[in-house]
Parts: sequence; structure tokens; C-alpha cells
Amino acid sequence: MNETVEIKARVTYEKTRQARYIAHLDTIDIICKALRRLQLPYQVTGGCHVRPKISFGAPLPLGHASYCEQFVLSLDKEINAEYLKERLNQQLPQGMKVLAVEIPAGKEPKGNNGDLVKYRFEFSDAGTVNRTLDFLKNPDTEFSLVSKGKVKTFRLGGAVQSLKSDRLTIEAEFMQGCEDVPSVSKIVTALAEYLGEARDHLTLIERISLKKL
Amino acid sequence: MKKVTDAFTHWELLQIEKPARYMGGEVNQAEIKTNPELRVCLVFPDLYELGMSNLALKIFYETLNQNPRIMAERAFSPWVDMEDLLRRRNLPLFSLETGTPLSEFDMILVTLPYEMTFTNILNILELSRIGLLWNERKSGPMIIAGGPSASNPLPVSLFMDAVAIGDGEEMIVEICETVLAAKKSGATRSETRKALTRLEGLWVPEFPGPVRRRVFKEFSASRPPLKPVIPNVQAIHNRAALEIFRGCIKGCRFCNAGYYYRPKRERPVEDLVKYSLELLNNTGEEALGLLSLSTSDYCRLPELVKLLDQQKLYAEQNISIPSMRMNENTLALLENSKHIRKGGLTFAPEAGTQKLRDIINKNICEEDIISVVKTTGSSDYRTLKLYFMMGLPFETDADVEGIAELVLKIEGICRTLKPRKQVSISLSGFVPKPFTPFQWSPQASMEELKQKRIVVRQRLQNSNSKISWREEYLCLLESVLSRGDEKVSHLILAAFKNGCKFDGWNEHFKQSAWEKAFTDCGLDPAAYTRQISISEKLPWDFVDFQVPRAFLEKEYRDAARIAGVEDL
Repeated sequence: MNETVEIKARVTYEKTRQARYIAHLDTIDIICKALRRLQLPYQVTGGCHVRPKISFGAPLPLGHASYCEQFVLSLDKEINAEYLKERLNQQLPQGMKVLAVEIPAGKEPKGNNGDLVKYRFEFSDAGTVNRTLDFLKNPDTEFSLVSKGKVKTFRLGGAVQSLKSDRLTIEAEFMQGCEDVPSVSKIVTALAEYLGEARDHLTLIERISLKKL
Repeated sequence: MKKVTDAFTHWELLQIEKPARYMGGEVNQAEIKTNPELRVCLVFPDLYELGMSNLALKIFYETLNQNPRIMAERAFSPWVDMEDLLRRRNLPLFSLETGTPLSEFDMILVTLPYEMTFTNILNILELSRIGLLWNERKSGPMIIAGGPSASNPLPVSLFMDAVAIGDGEEMIVEICETVLAAKKSGATRSETRKALTRLEGLWVPEFPGPVRRRVFKEFSASRPPLKPVIPNVQAIHNRAALEIFRGCIKGCRFCNAGYYYRPKRERPVEDLVKYSLELLNNTGEEALGLLSLSTSDYCRLPELVKLLDQQKLYAEQNISIPSMRMNENTLALLENSKHIRKGGLTFAPEAGTQKLRDIINKNICEEDIISVVKTTGSSDYRTLKLYFMMGLPFETDADVEGIAELVLKIEGICRTLKPRKQVSISLSGFVPKPFTPFQWSPQASMEELKQKRIVVRQRLQNSNSKISWREEYLCLLESVLSRGDEKVSHLILAAFKNGCKFDGWNEHFKQSAWEKAFTDCGLDPAAYTRQISISEKLPWDFVDFQVPRAFLEKEYRDAARIAGVEDL
């Protein structure tokens, strides 16, 4: 009996400039179309709606740039990682670029222990940097967000693991995906509310790295 | 304007729905030319998701950008949130490719896919700070429109420098050459417009005269657009579009498109197979859409589908056939092809009784309908959507009741099928269109249409079918905008000034603003929906549609004869 070989390829890509405004589902659609155009030996899902067998991480919030987005693609046979990177880069819209391809993909840590995500915030005003630091450095910072008509209150707690800043940038490491820790997306939404009109001085939100714990 | 991401703050962009609509930079976007001799903006007066599915836009974008002297870009109607942002920030509407304000182009080519976009065109012009009326514009781009809704150009005659009537493939190149030559020679706007009158198919409101609908005779041998832009926001029709033939010879007496796109011209099977592979290779779309007015009327359809089935580039590739007639070709397809997208099936019986289907020349009988429904039996199709019109010429009460009876019959068959099918029906009021045999017919009043709708719904009150319908006022308005004269141009302007836009969108349609516009202009809608005498001169008679008026008249009389009406 023939056994189906499944080789996994991990693709790390950036989503910056105008591409950061492409929604998650549209991003998946764009990548699936790119894979089809390349006619790669990818595996497909079963069921009624056949699609490339591909798994994505948690959605990147709309408007956040990222240099560490990933997907894992199942292939029928091994292909050259550099070749795949080069070919994929010819098939992506402006602002999306493959940074690395790992074949076969290394194993991820088992279990769901959350992620350590590093962000960089760029500002056009030093005062807003200080206010943002005030907001982020206090674990007791509380905020409420409305979701589906319900108000829910969150506490920063241990979400912010480290903070580094200079005059117009902040680099922050966040824990996410753990119990009782608000996601970066929620923290940024709350931060924008906290800053009020000064949020316009927060000009760029970039995800620099993501490490599975 | 600079890049969108530079012109607006991150927080402003997050406030609008789907900001990627306005960003450009998609795969297959045309390369930006430095200093092209002619800059053209292709405008679609509705949302990005709709415009990116429009075939004309794909054809013109690819044709023009192949010319090294021309750069064609795109712009769409901004959704209301983006419009508010533009107005708040006092910024003009811009193109997707380079963020250039529309007023800086040499020419704007507007596609007119349906009448309900007319006020959107004015909104686009206003947002672009371009004068709304051609005779008030002293500088800026030439504004030229085309498309099926412009077959009678009078309703847009106040706004357009010129209107293209008929197939655009050859015209668009000639228009560009003419405008380019005029630009080089320093011609005035009026001189440019005069030069445009020399092109077949172009009607210029400043120099009104007879105009002949343009027919692209080389269609069959022509290359369709094979490298379309891949949208960054999922388009309404998510498929690679391949036009397999143009025109239709079925001669449904209500159908403007059936006459607008005449004669029927088919692309050869061998070419279509070749194009399909190239198109899928360039787009990576899951579905290949075989497009035409009625795809099952393509002479060699079973052969085409069989060949396409055999040539797959990727496992998930399938075929989508959006316009099918309930006939033998459809039956063969349903029975034989494994790779046709099995979402839902949509058919348009249009009328509920055989007599009325004969009157409108629909050329299908009840056995055809029943056979096709039965054939869907073991297939994976889950839904069956049926389109019907009410208020068709010579319709009787029995015909209205016949809609419900036919639906019940179909529903009965569907109950016996496994897997079961969900039937949904869509009801719409008949709209008399110019250049069709029913161009002289009256439109039923709103009250009558409503009453007919109530009758159908009452008859189907115990049915499981989903019923949707088009609001009667929209049908009335479409009649006015289709059969309009120059006065309707003033009506559109008044409606726009009263706040109308996105008239095809229920949530934005403002009936009271349109009613006020009628009053402001002293117009009575009934004047446009009435029965027109065959001996009357029609406002659009100056357009030679390449379908003799005598033929349309004969068709109308034939319809009347079936209905037992002698005097028209």
C-alpha cells in the first residue's frame, strides 16, 4: 500500500505598508491563489470544499504590520526552500514578502502555553511616548472593552513582559494566548482609547517577533 | 495625493470598512509608467468588490496598459465611510495605482453597468472636484461613459463629454488616440469633442446626431483579458472570468442585453481551452467562470467542459457556469461534469405560464424546466434559485398565479430528491427597455406590481421556498432612467443634490429624495412608464442599434398576437 508522504513547509512572511490593511481571510485567499499559480505539489484538504492544506496562526489585527507572520503548508514532496521563497515572492501583493522558508518545518512546542510577541510602536510626539509607557508599565492598569454588546473589564497583569523606549519608539514584549492575559489587540485598542486624540501620534504598530512558549 | 497610508492616519483608516479597497498594489496591477503620453482612469461607479468583478474593466485595463504610451489606472465609488473621510479631510478621490486625484487625468472612462449607479457617477465627479456638467467644465479630464445602461445615452447627456454605444474594445483605443492627438495639438475641449464624433459608436451631447451602435466583429478571434488584477478584498464574483461568447440569439423580447450585444459571436473551443489554462495560471482562482449572456447556449459547451475537465492545473480547480438556460445543454452538463462548482443553480423561467413564456419569447417549456430540476436530483447542488418577472406585457391574473403554481410544482419535485434542494424565488417588476420589442410597453403601476406580489406570496404561504422581491419603486425608477430623455438628466442631477447615491443599495436608497427630485424637475414618472404608441417618435431613435425598428415592431406585434391582442 502506498503511504502518502506529508512534508511540512513553514513560511515566514512580512505584512507591512498597505498590506497591513488586508484582512486575515483575504490574506489566506491571496496566499492560496499564489500557491495555485505556482502549481506547487501541495496537499489539499478533504471534504466538499477542497483547499490547499495550510494552517495559519492567530489572525494579525487589522492595521498591525508584522515581520513574523507564518503559515505551514503540507507538501507531497520536498522542494528547495530558497526556490519556494523566491517563487512566492513573485506572487504576492505589495507589502507582503516571504522572509524565510523552512522545509521540513521544525516542531513547535507542544501544548498551548501562549506566545511571546515583540512589538514596536512608532510615535510622532515624545509626550505620547511617555503616556503610553505609563499605560503599559503598570500591571494594575485596567480597561473595559465592549464586545457583542457586553462590557468586559481586563487587567494588564503580566501581559507586558518588557519595555524599552527611546524618544519616539517603544519596544514592548507581550505575553498572549494565556489565561487571564488580554491580547495585544485588546491592549492596543484600550491604549488608543486612553490616549484619546493623542492616538494620532501613534503612527505605526509593528509586530517584530513571535515566539511560541 | 501621496500613498493612502501616508495621506490618512492609521486610526482614520481603521475607522473605515475594508481599507484595503483603497490601497491598490494587488498582484497583476499594471506597471507604473513614468510620463505616459496619456493618463486614463477607469472608473466603476460602485464598490471595489463589484467593480473588480466587472469584465469590461478587465478588458479595458489590459488593453490600454499594453500600449506603451498609455497608463490606465482604476478608481471605484468610495463607500460612505471613506467618502466622509475624504470630505472631512478635504481630499479628492484618487486612483488606486498612484494615488493621483482623478482631476489630474487626461480622461476618465466610466463603465455604466446598471442605471442605479447614475448618481454615484455624479458623486465621484464631485469628490474629484470635477464639474458635473460637460458644458461647465473648462479644464480637466474628458469624461466618457459606456456600457449597457448607456444604450440610450440621453439620461446622462448633461454630464458626459461623450457616450460610447456598443462594444468597447476597438472604440476605447480610438478614443484614446483621438484624445491624445487633441492633447498634442492643443485642441480645445470642444474641438476634442468634435473629433470624437467621427468615431463610430460615439455620441457627443455637444454635437448630437445619429450614432450607430458599435459591434466588435473580431470578437471571436480576439484575446480576452488573461492577466487580470487579483483583488486584495474578495470580489463579489470570486472566479477567473472567461467570456466564451458574446451576444444572444434567443430574442427574449424584454431583454436589452440580448439586443445590445448582438450578433452572437463564439470563441472557438480550442482557443478557450488555451485561454483557460493561461487565465488560471495567472490568477490562481479556484473557479473558472465561463461567462456569456446564456452559457448553456454555447454550441460546443459539452465538448468545452469535457476538455476543461481533462486539463487541470490544480486539484481544487472547478468550473462555474453562472448563466444557464433550462435546456438540453444544461441537462448534459449536470449529468456529465464532475468539476462544475456545485453551489447553487440559478435559472430564470421569468414567467409562470407557457403562454406568457411564449409571449416574451423565452423559448423554454415546462417539461424543460421539470427535466432540469429532476436532473439536479443526485447532484451536490443544494439550492435552486428561480427568477420571475411580474407585470410583463399582456400578463393576466392567471399568469401571476402561474408563478406560484410552477414554484409549488418544482418544490414538490425537490421534496423527492436527495439531497433535498432549497428553492428560492426572486420576484421583480418588468421594466420596459429601449431597443427591445417591449420598448413600447407600459410598466404596471406600483400598486399593481405590489398586488401581484401579494398574490404570489399568498399562494406560496405554505411553501418552504424563500421569497425575495425588488421594491416596486426601484422598478419604476429603473424604467424612468432607461426610457428617459434629456429631462431625466436634470432629474438625476436633482436627485444627487437631494442626497441620492448608492441607489442600488437598500440601506442607502432614498425614495423621498427621488420623489422630491421629480417634483423639483416638474416630471411625472408616469410619463416614462406609460404605453408608447408604435407610431410615436422615440427619444432614442437617433441611435442606430443595428436592429431595425421594423423588426422590433414585428416582434412586438407577434407577442400581442399570441396574447390575442390585435390593436397596439
